[in-house]
Amino acid sequence: MLTPKEIISTLQMVREENLDLRTVTVGINLTDCVSDDIETFKRKIYDKITRTAGQLVATCNRIERRYGIEVANKRISVSPIGVVGAPFNAAQMVEIALTLDKAAIELGVDFVGGFSALVEKGMSHGDQALIEAIPQALTESQRVCSSVNVASTRAGLNMDAIKRMGVVIKQAAAMTADDDGLAAAKLVVFANIPQDVPFMAGAYLGIGEADAVVSVGVSGPGVVKAALERAMAEEDNMDLSRAADVIKQTAARLTRAGELVGREVAEILGLPFGIVDLSLAPTPNENDSVGEIFEAIGLPAIGAPGSTAFLAMLNDAVKKGGAFASSHVGGLSGAFIPVCEDLTIARSAAEGTLALEKLEAMTAVCSVGLDMIALPGDTSAEMLSAIIADEMAIGVINKKTTAARLIPAPGKQAGDHVVFGGLLGEGPVMAVNMGSQENRFVRLGGRIPAPIQSLVN
Amino acid sequence: MNKVLISVLGSDQPGIMAKVASIINQHNGNIENLSQTLLDNVFGALLMANLAEDDSSEKLEQSLQDQTRGMNLYIRVHPWQAEPSDWHQNKPETQPYIVTAIGPDRQGLVAEIAGELFKHGVNISNIQAIFKGGKNPMDNLMVFEVDVPRAVVMNDLRDALDAIAARLELEINVQHRRIFESVSNILN
Repeated sequence: MLTPKEIISTLQMVREENLDLRTVTVGINLTDCVSDDIETFKRKIYDKITRTAGQLVATCNRIERRYGIEVANKRISVSPIGVVGAPFNAAQMVEIALTLDKAAIELGVDFVGGFSALVEKGMSHGDQALIEAIPQALTESQRVCSSVNVASTRAGLNMDAIKRMGVVIKQAAAMTADDDGLAAAKLVVFANIPQDVPFMAGAYLGIGEADAVVSVGVSGPGVVKAALERAMAEEDNMDLSRAADVIKQTAARLTRAGELVGREVAEILGLPFGIVDLSLAPTPNENDSVGEIFEAIGLPAIGAPGSTAFLAMLNDAVKKGGAFASSHVGGLSGAFIPVCEDLTIARSAAEGTLALEKLEAMTAVCSVGLDMIALPGDTSAEMLSAIIADEMAIGVINKKTTAARLIPAPGKQAGDHVVFGGLLGEGPVMAVNMGSQENRFVRLGGRIPAPIQSLVN
Repeated sequence: MNKVLISVLGSDQPGIMAKVASIINQHNGNIENLSQTLLDNVFGALLMANLAEDDSSEKLEQSLQDQTRGMNLYIRVHPWQAEPSDWHQNKPETQPYIVTAIGPDRQGLVAEIAGELFKHGVNISNIQAIFKGGKNPMDNLMVFEVDVPRAVVMNDLRDALDAIAARLELEINVQHRRIFESVSNILN
């Protein structure tokens, strides 16, 4: 027999607090599709993707009804195309992106990730072709996402790649100027990218992964906010130790729900289950915002002094809760602070409480990085590269994942409003108060060496 | 074997179980299983006991009633030799679901939902009401824990319950029990 408390708390999470499975992502290994003939390669990847994930959407719909939990997105991630498509040139890479897009549309999935390159130490022919193809690929496709790993704690920062990515982001934004630079919102630059992220735009299937694997991305900032608010209202001896406990327990519960659904989908599809990625990933809706958690704990707004301390605690408590609840937690697992995807964060940025500099500081303790940040359209490629380099350095030195998803919105000034639509949301164009647009440091290129692993202070 | 079923109902107070158990003991009876519950302030218990061969349900009932006079209890003792019901003898393979009806209490709510469940061959294993009134939907809740035979088409059952929900202005959810268990029991 279930207790009323067990029944009510579960119902509340699902009905009122926006617990959703943000994504069920099927990772598909494409290494067995390799060919130096573009038509053969396209046919093989299309066939493998549609065959492996043919039942994904129908299965998720079934499970959704069984448990009364929404699976918001169904997604595919594939082996990095820079690796499996290494023989091809940039124009052919665009064709590959469009093939991935066609497969995604055929399956009815929301996104396909893995139009990716891993270049933290150097760029191969395939990586260069892929990176060159990114602007056109993301402009002409609808559902393809792209990621480029340009740095790691073991390899340091590939500044040549970072320099290149500034240019690529500018081009991608320029080619989608009518949509405020939408293509750049589907492109993310990483340091220490995990091999098993189910979240976009960074999802790809690592080379060390199985032939196909089902992973789940669970969200639920609204659930954490509600749990904190309840505890703050009802408990006399509330302090931050207790708040950390509340977050941890809530994270554990969310993770359990995710693992249950993920394992069941995997079983029905006949694929191994991979990981649960419990990340507080907001959507641009009320009660589904990470920023609201900051207000619930008593901060005036996200970005106010105290925000970095609380974010550190939040991120850590989410990881602890997740790791306790499931032995297979992976991906990014923590708290995201994407500006345009989060109503409250976007508001703080618009009101000036949250500046780019504070955001950068906060990314040192969140689970990703500078995410979904619209910048003035005249931000130079070099300036973008410099911002990326700073963000990557934070990840490399702190042995954590960091990422940058920057959108220089064509024709827009600081303070203007941009709209990307759907989960990508909308928000203000943030000011870049960083002096000259020219940057000789970035122009030097080369590599920033990997950091020493001793003398830790 | 001289099995009896004993039901005890009355206003809750200390000593009900002590008294009933000690009288069964006086009759050299052994309590084999029992369950008690509280509904508001009303006590209810069901006991299964094995009596001595020369004893009878009538004699035990008489003793229980005589010796608990003043406690205002309703006590009945029934001889129990019945075979398990058809359902239990030929139990189909089932899946455990939780049906929750959210909305203010109203006449016919249980009858309608239970009737529909019965129509689909669903067995109710537990039912509880959480009605505290007020506007919070979680304070106006009826919970049915049910076993649904595998042969039942879930969409048909859901559609039928949705029709009741629309008529009675309720929200009815049908969710597999596992989601409640996995979210609630983080220590398993």
